[in-house]
Amino acid sequence: MIEVHDVRKKFGAVQALGGVSFTARDGQITALLGPNGAGKTTLLRTLVGLLKRDHGTIAIDGVDPEKDPMTVRRSIGFLTDQFGLYERLTTREYLTYFGELNGMDRAAINRRTDEVSELLGMEDILGRRSKGFSQGQRIKVALARTLLHRPRHLLLDEPSRGLDVMSTRALRTALNALRADGCCVIMATHVMQEVTALCEDVIVIAGGHTVAQGSPEELCRRTGIANLEDAFVSLVGTEEGIA
Amino acid sequence: MKSKLMIVLRKELRETLREKRTLAMLALFALLYPVMIGFMLHKLIDKSTMSEREGIELTVIGAKQAPTLMSQLGEKNITVKDSGPLDEEAIGELLRAKKTVAVLRLADDFTETYYAMRPAQIEVWYDSSTESNSQRREVEGVLEAYSNNVASARLLAHGVSPAALAPIRLQRYDTGTNASRSAMLIGSIIGILFFPAFMLCMSAAVDSTAGERERRSLEVLMAQPAHTWELMGGKWLAASVLAIVGTTLGLMLAHAILKWLPLEEIGMSWNLGWGDLALVCLVTVPLSMLAAALYIALAMNSKTFKEAQTLLSFVMILPLVPGLVVSMLDLKTAQWMYTVPVLSNQTLLKEMAKGGDLGALPFVMTFLCSALPALLIIGYASWRMKSERYVLAV
Repeated sequence: MIEVHDVRKKFGAVQALGGVSFTARDGQITALLGPNGAGKTTLLRTLVGLLKRDHGTIAIDGVDPEKDPMTVRRSIGFLTDQFGLYERLTTREYLTYFGELNGMDRAAINRRTDEVSELLGMEDILGRRSKGFSQGQRIKVALARTLLHRPRHLLLDEPSRGLDVMSTRALRTALNALRADGCCVIMATHVMQEVTALCEDVIVIAGGHTVAQGSPEELCRRTGIANLEDAFVSLVGTEEGIA
Repeated sequence: MKSKLMIVLRKELRETLREKRTLAMLALFALLYPVMIGFMLHKLIDKSTMSEREGIELTVIGAKQAPTLMSQLGEKNITVKDSGPLDEEAIGELLRAKKTVAVLRLADDFTETYYAMRPAQIEVWYDSSTESNSQRREVEGVLEAYSNNVASARLLAHGVSPAALAPIRLQRYDTGTNASRSAMLIGSIIGILFFPAFMLCMSAAVDSTAGERERRSLEVLMAQPAHTWELMGGKWLAASVLAIVGTTLGLMLAHAILKWLPLEEIGMSWNLGWGDLALVCLVTVPLSMLAAALYIALAMNSKTFKEAQTLLSFVMILPLVPGLVVSMLDLKTAQWMYTVPVLSNQTLLKEMAKGGDLGALPFVMTFLCSALPALLIIGYASWRMKSERYVLAV
């Protein structure tokens, strides 16, 4: 469970987060919707304790990432907007590195590597160095790294970008499995289809503020618009959406 | 559970060793340097012992006119090659071919003037741009001695004491011992033996900091449950390992070569055993770690590999400074030198090469003067790494 209350963050004169509040429950996939520059990445970074908030509270299963970042990070799988691959390491070596950093032993790493690579359909690239990987292969490796240590919480920044149809379906299967396991998943995305198909809950942020939180149906009902995309645009405010 | 620092260290090493450029650098500096030094010294020894072994070749035109002079030259192990008349061009040709140290040309009227007790002319033709100047001076020394002898004999025949010609008597004493004479040369050799410490860790240090920022993998790494000191420490040690291995290999190879060469031929000494060398290598370990710490602390502020490399190429000049200052100011070895990194290592090895007991203090000082700043710098870098700017400015 991730609880965020009135979090604000300023970079110099720029107010990146002006007051974000929401609750993401276990066993649910929560979509994080917002136009570019709305503060999604800043929010996710604040959740893992990479950035310090100026105001507000964050509790991840009751733990404040600023006070105990190690505990929080151990329980989080964080897929950033950058893949963070090492070109001179093979996929298996890469996964082993991050598995070890998360305190897993060799046997567990090997078992989980096989599991996640089967889940994401990436057995063919396990022994290859990541130099020359396609966009889809890169994000698969990054996703595998995120899932490897069985985190209770997942923060995914646009996990489906660059994936082909098969891989997108594989990702969806993976997310459903995680939900069934009782994980708390927050997924920043721009694909409305994904939100309708996967997410129980939607957080809409714009200009560093939470604009709305609710299920896709609730958002549609509240705005009086049947289509989620149109509802989103109306919530964000058209002009800001275009900017 | 394995230490996170070791995990990072192992991964960085594996990654670095997969880069061929790094390995090539390692081989180049660790092996090429000592071999180059060995080759230079070998040439030097060869040259300095040449005149003893082969004697001096001298061409003389009109040798028959001065048989006594010729036999005196022969006594000094100078081989006289009698030659017919040669013109200027032919002499130049002969000197350029380096077949002869110099050409002596006795004037055609040498015998007549000699007996008439007028100065008899001998021309010395030589090429000052060649390296046979000392041998040529030896020839001239024989000529002077011969001239003095004849003059003394003539004065004596006139009833004048030859002592009247020598108002002063010059006697030379050279107090330079083998050891002190070799100190200069050894000093310059030793100077470069420690530079690999600064060269070999650079690429790994830059790649694991600025490179990681450039490739945008730093954010992911920092979001892992590991403290910044574990991440930075691992990267630091990985870069250090390369420098330590390279520097140690270089020192060992140089030692083997210096032990093998007949250094006493050129008045040098290398009074070091393998045990002494092991000690030197040991106290040099922190120097490599200092270099790596310095690079990491600086490179982590650069956003790209290229930027960091430019910045660090300035830092690479630093190890040259102490040695340069000391040799420019002509400073004598003093205790304070053991508190300056690089200089302390150079001084230590130099003093050990001379032989003699140094005591433990210089070793301890050399070790600590690098180890302490290295720890401080890497501690500072780890602390700095916690700042948000490294996450943001990727």
